[in-house]
Amino acid sequence: MGLAERVIKPNILRGFGLYTALAGIAWCALFPILWAVSGSLKDEGEVTTPTLFPAHPQWSNYREVFALMPFWRMFFNSVLYAGCVSVGQVFFCSLAGYAFARLRFRGRDTLFVLYLGTLMVPLTVTVIPQFMLMRVAGLTDTPWAMIVPGLFGSAFGTYLMRQFFQTIPAELEEAAILDGCSPWQIYWRILLPHAKPAVMVLAVLTWFNVWNDFLWPLLMIQRSSIATLTLGLVRMQGEYVARWPVLMAASMLILLPLLLVYGIAQRAFIRGIAVTGLGG
Amino acid sequence: MTTIDGLAAAVTRRRKFSKRRARAGRMFVAPNLAAVAVFMVFPLGFSLYMSFQNWDLFRPAKFVGLANYRSLFTGDPLFSIALRNSVVYTVGTVVPTVLISLAVAGVLNRKIKGINFFRTIVFLPLAVSSVVMAVVWQFVFNTNNGLLNIMLGWIGIGPIPWLVDPKWAMASLCMVSIWRSVPFATVILLAAMQGVPDTLYEAARLDGAGELRQFVSITVPLIRAAVSFVVVISIIHAFQAFDLVYVLTGRNGGPETATYVLGIMLFQHAFAFLEFGYASALAWVMFAILLVLTVVQLRLARRRTAQEERSWA
Repeated sequence: MGLAERVIKPNILRGFGLYTALAGIAWCALFPILWAVSGSLKDEGEVTTPTLFPAHPQWSNYREVFALMPFWRMFFNSVLYAGCVSVGQVFFCSLAGYAFARLRFRGRDTLFVLYLGTLMVPLTVTVIPQFMLMRVAGLTDTPWAMIVPGLFGSAFGTYLMRQFFQTIPAELEEAAILDGCSPWQIYWRILLPHAKPAVMVLAVLTWFNVWNDFLWPLLMIQRSSIATLTLGLVRMQGEYVARWPVLMAASMLILLPLLLVYGIAQRAFIRGIAVTGLGG
Repeated sequence: MTTIDGLAAAVTRRRKFSKRRARAGRMFVAPNLAAVAVFMVFPLGFSLYMSFQNWDLFRPAKFVGLANYRSLFTGDPLFSIALRNSVVYTVGTVVPTVLISLAVAGVLNRKIKGINFFRTIVFLPLAVSSVVMAVVWQFVFNTNNGLLNIMLGWIGIGPIPWLVDPKWAMASLCMVSIWRSVPFATVILLAAMQGVPDTLYEAARLDGAGELRQFVSITVPLIRAAVSFVVVISIIHAFQAFDLVYVLTGRNGGPETATYVLGIMLFQHAFAFLEFGYASALAWVMFAILLVLTVVQLRLARRRTAQEERSWA
């Protein structure tokens, strides 16, 4: 056995082992979803059999979802809420983040410590008063209930943006000041375009949070004309117990738009989780 | 004279300039501050206030001191059940999550062909909402014809009544939670592993350390801060679990009280029985437990680091 052979052989073996391990891990991550896709294409009889590939894919299950729930209406609602809150978060958090990072005013640092403190407060504690606030304001069961609480920014987003703005070199701003730019112009024309990575992270994380949120829409919304897809799925699950093919088809239809977003913005999404620890 | 005039003018200009920036700063923070005050700070104070009141929708609020807290700890047998279930769920989720994701991150950290493809797949569950996930897993857990029982049948293990039997329901819940938490923890651990300098591994390899040895004595100690972070965040998530339980095993935390966790208890008291005072007291007890756990965990992590630093010296 030559030297080359002796070196290469264990390497191939090890590579083989590594890919086997990777395939195993990937299978664990995917099998519930693959099983759901397969279930969504079976008929009521076939759904009790262990085949992964249905003999006659029943695309009609998907058609039935559209008949059983106002899918497009709820899809529109989810996009509307997630879109409004994401835009609002990005704008107001980056604006405040810029102020905390670069503009000196009295009480700024104390205020920022207060912001950091609220990051530790769990939803468990704040959700009941938030619920009461919306009731008193008469916003329950309106689209506003889904949009207003997140629209004007959050401590978390502000913290994220401030940390990012602190890494942008001060020279960038100084040049603009010499040119006579106002703080607003500096923010809008120079710093915000530079903050694109952080903006993407915040926007994507917010989008996923709003889209996947369950407790808040459950508390706020009764009418199905303003419900989100997540809420619609839970109601459907209650109404059509054990009608697996249709339930799986609905689940996959709700998952699909998010998988598209994941495919496009995967980098920002994963980075956001790695940096913030949010999204578990 | 002229230089002093010029200097004075410059000082005024400078002062005017910083005044303008200060005003802009306050204006830029104002809307955000209003949101944080209304939706975070006020609710925080108000829920503490409510926890000392007998407050529901039907009677006027009445100050009752610590009565809500007292009846939680002495008068409500469901509280101890919920607390125990939450602790079991938290331990049953966090410990396996950390162990599995350390291994998974270790494998995903290898620089080999196609690794990005595998990373994309492994992180995919992060995009799935807990509601969709719970509905899908119900299908997997289905006793008569679910995938899990079919696969167990192949190796001769009889059908397990996953979600129906109180003995199995909690285990099922933990399994789903682990499935979702592992990708999350892996993202953070992998990011930390990528920060470990290659030169350390090279040195270890020269000393003849095998891969497993390198992983145990270099990678794991060096990413301990990230592990500690994952543990804290996972505990915080698991201890407040609600969505997953609500959809997977039902709004009452059944079967019987097998999955009656604190999140479900809070939801019932607040939004089904409308006992806002009692529910707020429960929320503050949960908050307090989480704070203590977090502080203890961070302390332990710091002490361990300090000890090791000393042993290096």
